[in-house]
Amino acid sequence: MRVFLPLVALAVTGPIGASAAWATPDTDASEELAAGSPAAEPPAPEFQDPAFGPSYVIESIEVRGNRKTETSLILGELAAVGLHAGDQVGASDGRVEAARFRLLSLGYFLDARLSVGRGAKRGGAVLLVVVEERGTIVINELFLGTSAATAFWGGVDVSETNLVGRGINLGAGFVGSTRPITEGAVRGFGIRGHASVPELHGPGISLSITGLLSDGSELFRVSGSDSDPDPRKFTAVHTRRGGGILGVGKTLSRSLRVYADFREETVSATVPDRMRMLGSGLLVPIDFGVRDGYSRVGSITATAELDRRSDPVLPRSGYRLSASAELATSWLASSYTFGKFMAQGSIYRGLRWGHVLGFHALGGAIIGDAPYFDQFFIGDLNLLMPRRALGLNFSTLPSRNVLGTGIAGHRYDDYAGRLLVEYAIPILRRHGFVYRGDFFVAFGPLALGSSGDFEGRSVSWSTLPLDLTADVGLRLDTYVGVFTISIANALSRSSF
Amino acid sequence: MLRAALAAVCLALWLMSAPDEARAQNGAPLERRTTGLHRHDGVLSASVGLQDLFGPVERQRLTSGFATRVLIRVYLHREGSAEPVAVTFQRSEIVYDIWDEKFRLRIARGAGGSAEFRREVKSAEEAIHESTTFWQFPVAELRRLQPGARYFLAFRADLNPISEELLSDVRRWLVQPARGQRRVGAGDSVFGSFVSIFVNPRIEDSERQVRFLSQTFVEPAR
Repeated sequence: MRVFLPLVALAVTGPIGASAAWATPDTDASEELAAGSPAAEPPAPEFQDPAFGPSYVIESIEVRGNRKTETSLILGELAAVGLHAGDQVGASDGRVEAARFRLLSLGYFLDARLSVGRGAKRGGAVLLVVVEERGTIVINELFLGTSAATAFWGGVDVSETNLVGRGINLGAGFVGSTRPITEGAVRGFGIRGHASVPELHGPGISLSITGLLSDGSELFRVSGSDSDPDPRKFTAVHTRRGGGILGVGKTLSRSLRVYADFREETVSATVPDRMRMLGSGLLVPIDFGVRDGYSRVGSITATAELDRRSDPVLPRSGYRLSASAELATSWLASSYTFGKFMAQGSIYRGLRWGHVLGFHALGGAIIGDAPYFDQFFIGDLNLLMPRRALGLNFSTLPSRNVLGTGIAGHRYDDYAGRLLVEYAIPILRRHGFVYRGDFFVAFGPLALGSSGDFEGRSVSWSTLPLDLTADVGLRLDTYVGVFTISIANALSRSSF
Repeated sequence: MLRAALAAVCLALWLMSAPDEARAQNGAPLERRTTGLHRHDGVLSASVGLQDLFGPVERQRLTSGFATRVLIRVYLHREGSAEPVAVTFQRSEIVYDIWDEKFRLRIARGAGGSAEFRREVKSAEEAIHESTTFWQFPVAELRRLQPGARYFLAFRADLNPISEELLSDVRRWLVQPARGQRRVGAGDSVFGSFVSIFVNPRIEDSERQVRFLSQTFVEPAR
């Protein structure tokens, strides 16, 4: 971290173009105006009169430009706001704009326009809907990395979001790795298939199904100190998992969604007959966190998500909250009985010059006997470490331990928490390939532990499971998607 | 590890130092348009044209049969101060009657929209002229201007503006899969993901925008 601080300072002092509302060449006010302060951009008063202009009877509806998307799907969106053949529509009718944005909300179109042409008799009209379809293949994630244990892992997750023009989302992801150099480890491979349909008219629920198959190794320490990442001081549990999740979702309001998921999975694990040798030479059993041989995981999960951010990519204000509860029990044919609870929240506050201050909090707890792959993993908390790819971990790197605590001994645990403060500065705003870009700095503490951590041990700073994490980089919103170029991304993909 | 991190930082610095359009567009001065200024009955008024808010495509869309809205904001600034001395609006709505083949306009001026008038014109050019041309448009009461001080007007015109809330919804819909579906992976998470690739059209808070400044003027002694 110390290495990067001067670079961060250099970056902050670099030329920064503010997001301008106005820029004046010869006034001290130009910078203030450029920030788009509330004083400079007052909201305009409402100006709506649905009765203004002529009204027409819709004789028929024509849809053009939909080479791929089913016409019935588009007509269904118009019908949802009350626009059918035979209806009357006014020139300033609010349903017209509502229909346009409903069509855009499908995510299949770059643009959608409604117009009317003369009908067969005076006062009649043909409602014309012209859509411009967009590419609907989406790359959700790229998996790429190297570590001391695994020379290479890589993969991708891709979706087609408008399959056969019916709005079905079908996707697949895979990740593969070379064989980790740890004793007993095997080459990792994981594949995930997922399909979902958008909210159905009537019940208004979305349906999804996800299948996961993975074959890989999890690495557990057998010797050496907690901070020693040498993969030869680890042993491997060979784990094969196969199963799926059936989910339903419902949008309750424009910002509130709820989901329920039913999960069933079979697990086949080969647990090595190894113990851990402590520094004193004492041998202690290793908690591998999975049953030897065959076992099953069955659970139900309820999730609620409230998203009121001003923008999903580069938010300037608002907040996002999500909470989930997963319950696994023998009633659901699970060999493991546990409850997993998670809550996350982010809040953004716009500052002068368009700068943004964000606060992010995450907390989770597991009660019961969860398999290791359902526990909280240090790599999923610490931005500077490799995250799991399709549930597979390829690294033996311990947490960076900036604070000199006992965090290095924590990899999989039952309790997790993280707080992050983020400061973002808009540096790019242009018309073209890159729409907007933010330089951002984020840092904060994290904690990862289990209930038995302090049994028989005195509590001191060096035993607390705390660490700091941070990130510095650029977040770019471009024509082809969202890119994050950051130190954490670089470090997490080359974890030595 | 260090090499990868340094590469990322170098790329970031290069992007930041590149002569980007942000500065060309945002840091560079806005266009100056000579604006007619009038002082009459204790009111400062302005005369200027904003017809370039309509390009050929927008002009063609005027005959869609559905309403086209124009919002023009005018700010009076004292030089050296960020807070505008006065802000005023003009809002216009244009609809084309496909059977009568004429344009109907509804125009309101001022923050409260009290001064509303309606008009019918025969051509798109006339409709654009009526909704985007200021002729002695009242900006501020003269008593709010200090004699001897320097001022300028800032104009912003928006075609079919959409609300901030709707804009945010549209962006969310484009980033996420179709309505109600969940995004797989962490593509929309704040941290962690390197990339999330999708066709991401730029959605503005209006379909077209024109911004410019008037010449700076000195308020004469009264």
